[in-house]
Amino acid sequence: MKLDKELALINVDAASKEEVLELLGNKLLDKGFVKKGFVGSVLQREASYPTGLPTQPYGVAIPHTDGDMVNESKIAFASLKNPVRFTAMGQGDVEVEVKLVFMLALKNPADQLETLQKLVGLFQDPETVSQLAGVKDAEELNGLVASKE
Amino acid sequence: MKKLLIMCGTGIATSTVVKGKVEEWLKENNLSKEVKIYQSKVSDEINRIDEYDVVLSTTLVPDKIRDKVIDGVPLLTGIGIDTMYEKVLAEIKR
Repeated sequence: MKLDKELALINVDAASKEEVLELLGNKLLDKGFVKKGFVGSVLQREASYPTGLPTQPYGVAIPHTDGDMVNESKIAFASLKNPVRFTAMGQGDVEVEVKLVFMLALKNPADQLETLQKLVGLFQDPETVSQLAGVKDAEELNGLVASKE
Repeated sequence: MKKLLIMCGTGIATSTVVKGKVEEWLKENNLSKEVKIYQSKVSDEINRIDEYDVVLSTTLVPDKIRDKVIDGVPLLTGIGIDTMYEKVLAEIKR
């Protein structure tokens, strides 16, 4: 995978998950990768089908929505200065302190499957999660992901 | 042939990852010929959930079908994978 430079936000100061979702969604919108309703749709979907993953040492979230809101499949990334709370995926009542957000703009299931599988593999290793939280830019992020082949 | 359904909120992202992992697991356990995988979103399946032998979901499902569904999130977090596969295997062998 390769993350676009302008789609990686590092050490973001955000007070809530909504703020992070809007920030990342608007980045994707600015570049024309998603349609206008994308951000609203992600927010709504996050409320019904939360995407927080209770990984260690920090939680990760992978917000996304239906493919019809997407023009071009992309992944946007944010590392957060302070964790914000997401609800855990598959559970209505568990909260996860999330420090890494990968917003998935996917047009159809096959898009970036390898990337997704790889990302999920990275999340399962606490040392890698820790390293992801410390990257300084998209280049370092891409380098880290590539080094985990 | 058993029918195994994998579902998430959109039928696009996490169910695709889970599907890839389950396919590998079936192969490793020589079960590929015994199980057919279906992928979908929760809202499309609620009313026909009984057509499947095994159901894995990465999202919370409505109470009325909860007993039928195995939590697939361990395949994303890496936590509790063995226990999850034990449940899946028990349903396949049932």
